[in-house]
Amino acid sequence: MEDNEKNQRSFGRHIVQTSSDISFCAGCNACGIVCSLVHDGVVGPSYNRIFMEKGTQSMVTVIHTCQQCADHPCYEACARKDQAMCLDENGTVFINDDFCIGCKRCIKACVFDPPRINYVKSTDKTKRKAKKCDLCHTRLEGPACVQYCQVSCLKLS
Amino acid sequence: MDKLYGYVGKIARINLTDSTVAFISTSDYVPKYIGGRSICNKIFWDEVKPGTKAFDPENKIIYMTGPTTATGIPTGGRTVFTSIAPNSFPEQYAWSGIGGWFGAEVKFAGFDGFILEGKAPEPTYLYIEDGEIKFLSARNLWGKLVHDTQRKLEEIHGKDVKSIVIGPAGENLMRNASVTTSNDNVAAKAGLGAVFGSKNLKAITVRGAGVVVPADIKKVLELRLKMSHPAMIPRPVINETEHGLPGATTIVEGGWQRAQVACSHGCNQHCMCLMLDMKSAFSEEKVNHVEKCVSPLAFNMTIDVPYGGPGGPGGTFQTEQNHYPACKMLSREVDPPDTSDPYFEQEFAPAPSDILNYWKHDFDKGSIINDLCNEYGIDKWDVIIWLLPWLAMGKNEGVFDDIDFGMEIDVESEKFIRYLLDMIVYRKGYYGNLLAEGMARAIRTLGKEKFGNTIYHGRYSRILDKQIDIPISLEGAWGHTVHWQGRGFQGSIAKPAWVATNLHQMNATRDSQTIQHHHDTFEHYLELKDDPCRSPLTAKAVVMGENMAEIKDSVTCCDWQSPNLFWPEMEAEMFSAATGIPMTKEELLNVGERSRLLYRAIMINHSGRNRQMEVNEIFAIMQYPDPWGETVTWDEWNDLVDLYYAERGWDKETGWPAREVYERLGLDEIADELAESGKCR
Repeated sequence: MEDNEKNQRSFGRHIVQTSSDISFCAGCNACGIVCSLVHDGVVGPSYNRIFMEKGTQSMVTVIHTCQQCADHPCYEACARKDQAMCLDENGTVFINDDFCIGCKRCIKACVFDPPRINYVKSTDKTKRKAKKCDLCHTRLEGPACVQYCQVSCLKLS
Repeated sequence: MDKLYGYVGKIARINLTDSTVAFISTSDYVPKYIGGRSICNKIFWDEVKPGTKAFDPENKIIYMTGPTTATGIPTGGRTVFTSIAPNSFPEQYAWSGIGGWFGAEVKFAGFDGFILEGKAPEPTYLYIEDGEIKFLSARNLWGKLVHDTQRKLEEIHGKDVKSIVIGPAGENLMRNASVTTSNDNVAAKAGLGAVFGSKNLKAITVRGAGVVVPADIKKVLELRLKMSHPAMIPRPVINETEHGLPGATTIVEGGWQRAQVACSHGCNQHCMCLMLDMKSAFSEEKVNHVEKCVSPLAFNMTIDVPYGGPGGPGGTFQTEQNHYPACKMLSREVDPPDTSDPYFEQEFAPAPSDILNYWKHDFDKGSIINDLCNEYGIDKWDVIIWLLPWLAMGKNEGVFDDIDFGMEIDVESEKFIRYLLDMIVYRKGYYGNLLAEGMARAIRTLGKEKFGNTIYHGRYSRILDKQIDIPISLEGAWGHTVHWQGRGFQGSIAKPAWVATNLHQMNATRDSQTIQHHHDTFEHYLELKDDPCRSPLTAKAVVMGENMAEIKDSVTCCDWQSPNLFWPEMEAEMFSAATGIPMTKEELLNVGERSRLLYRAIMINHSGRNRQMEVNEIFAIMQYPDPWGETVTWDEWNDLVDLYYAERGWDKETGWPAREVYERLGLDEIADELAESGKCR
C-alpha cells in the first residue's frame, strides 16, 4: 500500500543513486561528509542530509535521498511555512535554519522510511533543527555530493 | 590550550576489572604527540611496566584515532591499536592499524581514543554512546563468528552502530587473532584479537551523534579532490572471467563479480576488491568478501607475485613520471607508464618471478580460506603466506611423514583446510593447541632444524633457470613471515629493495610491511644499486620510511597513499587542515622521529633490544638466495646496520640512541629513565 503510494508520487529534480551496473557505490560516505561540511562546517551523522544504509556483511551500500516530492508534504506540514521550510523557483524545498523551531512536523510528514529529513541532536533542545537536502541550491558548482562522489554513482535525476 | 580542531578532546580510560571509566584530556598530549600511534607510544611508556606479558591483566590495549579521523580528510578513517603483542616472538610491544567506520564513530561518540586495562570477570562487551560507556554481558556473544557477532550487535543496538569484534580465534587466545570491523578491516598483525580475548572482551560497539570540526574546510575539500588524483569515473560491477595475479591467472568457470569499495570513513579511494557471491565456509548462502592484497594467493600459488609492474625495480624506486599510490594498483586504475621517462627501460625491466608450486588454482577453496579467516578472526597473512606454504613444502620434503594431524595433510583439499583451521582455532588436540601458539613457537617446539630449516626443492628461479634453495618455514624476524624480502614469496625483488625491507623488519617488533612498504627515488637507486649495503642512501631511505610510518599512523593516513615521495608536504597539509596548527613537513618529520624514538625506548626498556639481538634475528633468512642467487655476507649486513645506526644517532655497539638524540626531540625524561638502568649514555 505504502509502496504503491510512493510509486504514484511525482518528484522534482533530486539526487539519485545509479544502479551497480553503471556505477557501484564505494560506501566511502564522501557524499554525507561533504554535505555536512558545506552546509554546517562539521562532520557528523546527525547533520547528514543524505543517508547511507550499509549491509553488515554484504558491504553493499544503498543511498537514501530526498526525492523533492512534487506535492512537498514536508513543506506543507511546516509550522512556519515559507519562513523555516521554503520553496525555491525550481520547486526545491529548503530549510532556513534561523526560523526552524524543531517541531519535527516535516519529519513526520515525510512519506519515506527512513525519513529523508534529519534532526540534529543537541543537549540544548532549544537548538534542535531539521536538516534536509536542498540540492545545494545556492552553490554554483551544484550539489556537493555529486561533485565529490569519487565513483560517480550519484547524479541529478 | 584553545579548542582542538580535528580532535574531540577526550580519551577514555576503561578498566575492565572493576567496570570503571575515567577521562583524560587529549590536550595533555597534543601537539607534542599528535597521534594516533604517537600518543599510544607515550601512554604505553608512562603506564605499562617492563616485564608485562601479552595476556597479563596489566597489559593495556591503547586505541587512538588521529586528528584527521572523521574530518573528511581522505584516509583519515584509519586508526591504531598498540599493546604487548602475543604474536611477536618473543612477546614485544607492537602496533596494528585498522580501517573501517569504527574510528569515525568513536569520535562522533565523543572520544579520541581509549585505554583498555585490566580483565573483565566474565565475557563482556562495551557499548559506547555519546560519551557514556556501559559494560554489558557478552555471554550470548561468546563463541560466535565475526559476522554473526556484528549482526547480533546490530539487532541489539540498531543498524547504525559500528562495532569491532573478535571471533573464536581471539577468544581461544590464538596468537595471530584479529580484531575486525563489519567490513572485514582487521587489526591483525600483532595478534591483538587474542589480547581482547585474554581480557574477556568480545566487542566494542559505538554510536555517536556528535560532530568533528576540521579547522580549514576549504582545504579539506581541496585535499579530497587532490589526494591521489581520484579517478572520477563510474565504477560498475564487473564480471571477471579469470582470477589471479598477472602471469598466474586461471579461467574461472562461470566467472565472478568484482566491485570496488573504500575501506574506511571518508576515504577518497575504492581500492578494496569486493568479491560478490563467493562460496561461504559456514552457510549455503553465497557471501561477499573483500580481497586483501594477500587474498589472491589463497586461490592460487603456483607462481610468485609479480613485482613492481612488469617486475622491475620501479616498484620500490620511483621517478616523478612513473609513480602511483598502491591503492591505484589494487583498484586496477593505474595509468599506462610514461615512456618519456629517461629511466623507463630500467624501471620497468622485466624480471620473471619464481615458480613455487605451493598449490594449484582452486577458486572455491580460495574463497573458503578467506572466509574462514574472516569469520574466525585470524590474520590471513600468517595463514596464506606461512602456515599453508609450510605444510605444502614440508609435505613435499617428507617432513611430516611421522606426524598424525588426524587427517592427511593436503593443502589442495578444501576439506583439509576446513579441518586444519577448525583444529587450530578451537585448540583441538596436541597439534591444534600447538599451532594456535603461532608458527614461530610451534616450529621451535617441534624442532626448528627439521621443521623450519629443511630445504624445499620445488622453488625454481626463471632468472637463473634452475632450482634454488628455500627453507620450508618462511620466517623473517620476530615471529613473523617474510614480506617483500626477496625469497620464498613476493616476487623477483632485487637486492637494493630487499636489504632495505629486512632492515625495516630488523628494527620492528612485527611484520613491518603494510605500514612501511619501502619507498625511495630512482635517482637514489642508480647510486646505491651496485652496493646497497654500503650506501648511506639505503639507511637514509629506511629512516625516512620508519618516520613516515609513525606519521601515517599518527596523522592518520593510509599506507596505500602515503608517503608520496613527490608530494612530501601531503601529511603536513592534512594535519594543518584538520587542526589549524601550522605544520611544515620538517616539523612533522620531527614528530614522526619523536614517536619512533619512544618506540625504540620501549623496545630497549621492555625487551632489552640491542644490536646483537637485531643483526642475529634477521640475518638467517638472507642466507637463502634471492631469485638472482644473491645473499648478503655478515660484513655487508653489519656495514649497513652501522650506517643505519649512524643515521639515527644511535650507538653502534649497543643500538641505543644517544642522550642528545632524546634531548633534541624533547624526550629528556625518557633519557633520564633509561640512564637509571644503564640503557642511555
